[in-house]
Amino acid sequence: LTHLDGETTQISPENARALWLHHESSTHSLSQQLTESLRLILAPTLATKLRGDFRTGKRLNLKRIIPYIASEYKRDKIWLRRSMPSKRNYQVLIALDDSRSMRESGAESLALKTLTLVTRSLSMLEVGEVSVVGFGEDVNVAHEFDKPFTSESGVRVFEQFGFQASKTNVRGLVERSLELFKEARLRGATSAGEDLWQLMLVVSDGICDSHAEIQRLVRRAQEERVMIVFIIIDSTTPPQQPEGTRPASASAVKHEKTSILDLQSVEISPEGKVVRWKYMERFPFRYYLVVRDVRELPGVLAGALRQWFGEVAGSSG
Amino acid sequence: MALALPDDVKVQIRLSTRHSDIALPEDPGALLVPTSLRRIALSSLVNNLLHNEKPIPFEFLVNGQFLRTSIEDFLTQNGISAEATLNVEYTRALIPPVHTTSF
Ligand SMILES: [Mg+2]
Repeated sequence: LTHLDGETTQISPENARALWLHHESSTHSLSQQLTESLRLILAPTLATKLRGDFRTGKRLNLKRIIPYIASEYKRDKIWLRRSMPSKRNYQVLIALDDSRSMRESGAESLALKTLTLVTRSLSMLEVGEVSVVGFGEDVNVAHEFDKPFTSESGVRVFEQFGFQASKTNVRGLVERSLELFKEARLRGATSAGEDLWQLMLVVSDGICDSHAEIQRLVRRAQEERVMIVFIIIDSTTPPQQPEGTRPASASAVKHEKTSILDLQSVEISPEGKVVRWKYMERFPFRYYLVVRDVRELPGVLAGALRQWFGEVAGSSG
Repeated sequence: MALALPDDVKVQIRLSTRHSDIALPEDPGALLVPTSLRRIALSSLVNNLLHNEKPIPFEFLVNGQFLRTSIEDFLTQNGISAEATLNVEYTRALIPPVHTTSF
């Protein structure tokens, strides 16, 4: 057993507050930049869709013609009109990787900064609800959908992270998140004419197992209309050495951290046949972005969301 | 069945050696390998990276200890998390019968 009971080193309340305030002010202008991009992407665009069924209108609804004739011209709501854009409501779940690899790889600080930036932007936008979960071996709901996300919430969320989990169960995360989205969907019964959009942002170093299982869940998410964007924190700063750790061996040389873009996966058959491939070539998430610097985030995140909206609009319109 | 699937846990390793004659021609950086691997499979990996046509048997040292089990068992026995990158040192395997003590 690798449990380290009583050794949980979560961020202390004082540090959580200091850290949150620090990140909040250091990412302030970036948050505004992201908010502006997201406003353009997330807000409903011009009402270009024609909707039925009206007695007068712009264009005939061909599906209504035969019933119209069959009803001896009584069922006469046969016209389509350009409707007003429907109000969009969002539920955004941000999942932050709380596993130890985040600390080992030096991704911790950039991940917390990313979390701050994204939650700040979304709360400034006021487009819906924000939830934050932490995941490692299990999933911890750090902030629930039905509570507003304030600065104080940010501090509370930070307190719940320690980057100590000895496993990174991304499969379990997606599974649990789909349940959370389902609950949120049922609870937040939106009024007619309102569109509910559910979006999940995973903030992680990207190293996970069980890719086949994850792919199956990603397909399920798509069927349930949950969009998942994976934000890979690709820290190239050398991992910090926690106090009291001795070097692994006398010959251990301090290497630079391998970027996830260069990381190779290896499979070896029982006969000794070695297969190597670039880890990212088989990454199980379709929408992902690789971030090395928080300043890149507003641009790349907006780009990923724009692409997704483009595809959704293209497939349903 | 999803439940029948084995846990496919992986760990990042970084290979190194003290012997220049068996040093890797180019640094592959960290490699993500299944924790189910044992010495024999790791030996195949090093031979692959060395482009050896005739494989050489290798031994592996993690934290100064010879790897005699799967990586997974080694991690469990030593309380090491698969979340950390393992530094794995390799050396030519000694063939027991010809081993002689020098002093
Ligand atoms: Mg991890």
